[in-house]
Amino acid sequence: MTIQHHPSDELLTAFAAGTLDQGQHVAIATHLISCSHCRGWMHAMEHVGGSVLAGISPTAMSRDAFTRVETRLNEPAQATKPAVISVSAPLDDVAGLPAFVRHYPAGPWKWIAPRVHLRPIRLPHANTTRIFLLKSGPGTKMLEHTHTGIEMTCVLSGSFAHEGGHFGPGDFDFGDETTDHQVLVDPGEDCICLVAMQGDLRLNGLIGRLVQPFVRM
Amino acid sequence: MPDESQRATDATKWAGLIEAVAKRQDRAAFSTLFEHFAPRVKTFIRRSGASEASADELAQETLLAVWRKAALFDPLSAGASSWIFTIARNLRIDALRREQRGSVHDTSDVDAEFQVDESPQPDSMLASAQSETRVRAALAELSEEQMRVVELSFYEEKAHGEIAQILQIPLGTVKSRLRLAMNRLRNLLGELS
Repeated sequence: MTIQHHPSDELLTAFAAGTLDQGQHVAIATHLISCSHCRGWMHAMEHVGGSVLAGISPTAMSRDAFTRVETRLNEPAQATKPAVISVSAPLDDVAGLPAFVRHYPAGPWKWIAPRVHLRPIRLPHANTTRIFLLKSGPGTKMLEHTHTGIEMTCVLSGSFAHEGGHFGPGDFDFGDETTDHQVLVDPGEDCICLVAMQGDLRLNGLIGRLVQPFVRM
Repeated sequence: MPDESQRATDATKWAGLIEAVAKRQDRAAFSTLFEHFAPRVKTFIRRSGASEASADELAQETLLAVWRKAALFDPLSAGASSWIFTIARNLRIDALRREQRGSVHDTSDVDAEFQVDESPQPDSMLASAQSETRVRAALAELSEEQMRVVELSFYEEKAHGEIAQILQIPLGTVKSRLRLAMNRLRNLLGELS
């Protein structure tokens, strides 16, 4: 299936610039591994970064800077494989995630609403954005919700639709305070998404208000 | 700013020096690279909000990584400046995380977090080699103001407000100008991949 929905050019540029927080970085990386089109743009933006660096005015280095580096040239490079990559890969059973994410610690699936389950993924660094997997049963009509911050959604399997279009594997959906979507999961199979969410999710309507205290996201 | 052909010649020169480091551990070549790139990396890190001392240190670390990773440099996929930019970017992220309290781990593998070419298309390498030259040409077409906002997006978010002050325009205007500049770039570059 062709990918229809992509992150904005600015988001891909922020990814290439390395200025996204880690949760959002994971969401964009998840889209990138399945979208060669956006990879092309992202790499072009790394070239822009190179051009920015090439055109920047120099700042004098400290006097002994070169000597200090020179004395370290013969040192063997420290192993760059850090402790963060553990042997276990708790998310290996989830298709469509970038390799580095599959090693992140993940909790079990937990029920949050009828036919909707959430599996938290723990980011290795303090972060303002949370990431989790969201699994919705076929035909589920998601509770109406609004966001208090930015939400990025990557479809890993299955599909859903809302006013903004139809979203299948590889598609990327962006929501913020102004987004108020009624999501309907397609029939046939579970829809599993990776979600990066800033702020809280606000459920609308009576059922939403009843469920809200139990969601704790 | 040097003209386009000068930039292209420089790019070939720097790539040659990195290859000399990779093949012969050529210290003279490294010294030339250090002299040129370390002060630029330092400015780049400074503008992201780092202190004088830590920018100096990160510039040293970046050039040390250039020495150690020279064999990984692939002139077909990236030019010298772009490659050194990615090294500096990753070290800056790593340094910011080390400063944070509450991190679960004190080391991280930022490089792995940028490995998104898990199933590269057969022609993507060739395309990126061409695109580097095209990117340089496209950037040369941007207005000075557009180039400045593009440049902005390569610094940390927290610096955006400051630079909005420098440019004396609201933060929202920085964002809308960036949007326009990106549209222009995309038109100039055409379809990339």
